[in-house]
This record gives sequence, structure tokens and C-alpha cells, in this order.
Amino acid sequence: MQSKPVTLRILDIASIIVLGVSAYIALFVAPTELVMGDVQRVFYFHIGTAWTALLGFILAAGFSVIYLITKNLLWDRLQVAAIEVSLVFFLITIVLGSIWARPAWNTWWTWDPRLTTAAITELIYIAYFMLRQGIDDPDRRARFGAVYALIGGLSAPITFFAIRLFRTIHPVVISGSNPEAEGAFSMTPDMRTAFFFALFAFTVIFIDLFWNRIRLGELQDKVEQLKLKVTM
Amino acid sequence: MINKVTDVKPMSSSHARPSGNFIKAVAAVLWKDLRAEFRSRELFSALLVFSLLIILIFNFALELDIKTRQSVNAGVLWATFAFAGTLGLNRSMAIEKDRGCLDGLLLAPVDRSAIYFGKVLSNLAFMLIVEIIVLPIYSVLYNVNLFLPGLLLVILLGSIGYVGVGTLLAAMSVQTRTRDILLPILLFPVVIPVLLAAVKASGGILAGADLTEILLPINLLIAYDIIFIAVAFMVFDSVVEE
Amino acid sequence: MFFQETTPDTSGYMIAGYTIAFVVMGLYVLSIYLRNRNLSQDLTMLEELDETAAETEMRSADQRKKNLMKPGDKKQANL
Repeated sequence: MQSKPVTLRILDIASIIVLGVSAYIALFVAPTELVMGDVQRVFYFHIGTAWTALLGFILAAGFSVIYLITKNLLWDRLQVAAIEVSLVFFLITIVLGSIWARPAWNTWWTWDPRLTTAAITELIYIAYFMLRQGIDDPDRRARFGAVYALIGGLSAPITFFAIRLFRTIHPVVISGSNPEAEGAFSMTPDMRTAFFFALFAFTVIFIDLFWNRIRLGELQDKVEQLKLKVTM
Repeated sequence: MINKVTDVKPMSSSHARPSGNFIKAVAAVLWKDLRAEFRSRELFSALLVFSLLIILIFNFALELDIKTRQSVNAGVLWATFAFAGTLGLNRSMAIEKDRGCLDGLLLAPVDRSAIYFGKVLSNLAFMLIVEIIVLPIYSVLYNVNLFLPGLLLVILLGSIGYVGVGTLLAAMSVQTRTRDILLPILLFPVVIPVLLAAVKASGGILAGADLTEILLPINLLIAYDIIFIAVAFMVFDSVVEE
Repeated sequence: MFFQETTPDTSGYMIAGYTIAFVVMGLYVLSIYLRNRNLSQDLTMLEELDETAAETEMRSADQRKKNLMKPGDKKQANL
């Protein structure tokens, strides 16, 4: 197995650094929010992971289309990496969202459009991996994965809009679509810094993990191929 | 027992327009399924009994007074259809695979998407037949008139969306090791917009709500049906190729 | 002037949140690392197996060549 490219090694270190800096800014530089207190600080990581995960899922849907057209397994490898990392990030998003909800609205879960869609989306991509696990042939696995990631990627935004449009009878704590609207806090400049830095940090971390995961996928493919060859 | 696909003529011998052949292929697949089912009726009776049992379970699960129950009629109906639907989809595809019909169909010189549409129509037919029988039974059990044209339309549109995506996903899940269990796991998260809109629209119709309130979810159903059937039509090839 | 509500102390939740975020990310990095290590070990082992298989293949090919030559020599000797 080829050793890690220098760029990746640098990226690894850079990711750890930006993560640390982002946490520092979020915890110590940003001011304490008035109405809900310190728990609001999870918002920075919540948004950071959310935005990158969503991009990851959209990217994955794009990889689906490219794979189905080119049938080149490289795109399948990219897709698996994107979905896996996004899945982990989105899990953090959901948990942080729940932790934020508890003191803010006195409930561990709100069935608001975002959180609900997030849970459904998470389930879709867990199902994605369960689908792949049940298939041994790499080509079929790639095809089926691509189809499902595409279907899932299309249905998630539709679900979001559907819930937003139709679930008005529920005691929605969110006015409009902005969860920040309740316990609405307008951001001070320092908060904005924390916010944007978190976005930046998690993008870097995502790329790092994504690249590492792709290399893992290459290794996996090599081992699988060699296994077949040796056992023939 | 392999059902012969005898109604499909090879393209070279017939000078029919390609679209005519396509429709013939779709009809052949549909007719094959319907004929097989009329003979054995095993799928159909299973679906029916299962649906009635689900309604029974809901009766005990949601012990409601008459007033509150009215607000959940739509939900119970659609939950029933969703669960029974997976049963139908699973069996329908499993039969194809087990009897080798799928391979036979794939050998025929027809566009793969014709197989998709044929299966969708036959799955839809089964689902609609079951629903048509469940409706009067539910109406009687809960003393609510379900035979409103709006409601029937919503049931049709919702079933189309459900079966459109379900057929594609069932075609995949039947080829995995986990088979039956996998279909609901794949299908339910993705079909939530259908359930959401269908329940909203059904509930609105049963409660006699404004037309504007009902039109919005119905429009979503139509949009969903079109989008997903189009996508499934395009990718079905990748799902059944060997 | 106006009586201001004191800001609630929700730092416990904050700590929980950040801990979970770091733990989950840490576990994921660990998972990638472990999978990488296991697969690398598998790869080295498989490569060894592949080499031994290749060697055995070469040796048996040589053997076959020798076997082919022997009967020919005998004939020549008999003549």
C-alpha cells in the first residue's frame, strides 16, 4: 500500500488544528447567548456538520449519475466515502440539534421539518449501507448503491418541503423555517466569526476524512481483487 | 411452473411501430401477472387478510373515542396500505425471481423499461384491488363514508407513487441476501412524502376541508409520482441487468 | 432599569454536546485507522500467498518441461 501522500498528511494535521481553533472560538471567543445560555454554542458545530453533510449527500447523488453513465467503479468508491463521512457528520448534527432543543424548548425532540427530515435522511443512508452489505458482486453493489443514493437524494429535499408545507397543525416551535427564530438570537460579530469559522473548519475536516476514506476504499478493492485471485 | 411470455413478438417479424411493441410488452407483463394471480389468488388473499389484521391491531393500539378516531382514519388507512404494500411488492418480485420469469423476460427483445411499467401496473392493480376491498370494510367497522371521489383519487395517486418506487426497490432487494427484510428499510424513508401528502389530503377530504388545503398535497403527490416514475424508468435497466 | 432575567446555566448541555461531537469524530477516525491496518495486514498476507502460488506455479512448469524431455531421451537411447 502506497504511503500517505504528503498533502494528505498536511491536511490531517491542518484538520486537527482547525477543529481545535474552531472549538476554541466557539467556546471562548463567542459571547454567551442571552436567552438560552451556553448550550447555544453547540449551534456552531451543529451547523458546521450539517452543511458539509448535506453537501456530501448531494455530491453522492451526483456520483450516482456519473457512475451509472460511465460504469467506472472509481465513482462508486467516491460515493461510498462521501456517504459514510456525511452519515457520521449528520449524526453529530442530529444529536447536537437534540441537545440544543432540550433546554431551549424543554423537549429532546421536536418534529420540526429540519430535525425530522434529518432523521429520515440518516435512515435513508443507513439503508444504503444495508443494501450494499447484502450484495457480494462489486459491480451490482455499485449499481444498486448508485440507484438508491439517487432515489434517496431526491426524496430527502422533497420530504423537507412536504413537512414544511403540511405540518402546520402540530405545535411547531419554529416560525417559518428557521429554528433560530425561536429563541431567536441575532448574531453578534463574534458569533458570526465563530459561525463562519466552524463552517470553514468542518469543510476542511470533511475533505480530509473524505480523502482518507477514499484511500481506504482503494485498499479494500485491492484486497478483494487479490482475494479472488488467490482463491481461484 | 414458468409462465410463458407468449404475447411478445420479436421485433424483426412484426413491422409494428416501436411504441406499439413497447405497449404490447407492458401489457404482456401485466397480463402474465394478473393471469397467474387469478389462478392461485395466493398473493391477493394474503394481502387482504393482512390488511384486515392491521386494521384490527390499530383498533386495539389506538383505543380512541369516536371523536378522536375520526382524526386518525386517514392515518390508519395509509399505514395499513403501506405495510400491506410491502408484502405485495416483495411477493410479486420474489415470484419473478424464483420462477425464473425475470430471466425469461430479460431474454425477450423488449426494452427493459417495459418490464418496469408492466410490473408497476400489475403491482398497482393488486394494491388497488386490496384497497377497494378494505375501504368498505373499514367504512362499516368505523361508520365513516370512505367512498368520496376525492379520497379515491388520493388513494390512486398515493398508490401510484408507492408502487412506482416500490417496484424499483423491490427489484433490487430481491437480488440481495437479505431480500424481504430489506424492502421496507429501503422503501419507507424514501416514500414518506407520499404518506405525508396522502394522509394530509385524505384527512382533509374526510373532514370536509377547503379545496385549497386539499389541492396542495394532491399536487405534491402528482409531482412525486412523475419525478420518481421518470427516474425509476431511467435506472431500471441498471437494476435488472446481469 | 428593567429587571433582566438571568441567563440560564446550560453549560452542562454544552459540554455534553461538544463531548459527543468529539467522541463521534474520534471513533470514526479510529474506525478508518483500524480498518486500514487490518486491510494492510490482509494485503501483505495475500501478497505472500500470491507469491508462493506463483513460485509453485513456476516450479511445476519447470517440472513439466523436464517430464516432457525424458521419454524423448529414452527413445533416442533405445535407438
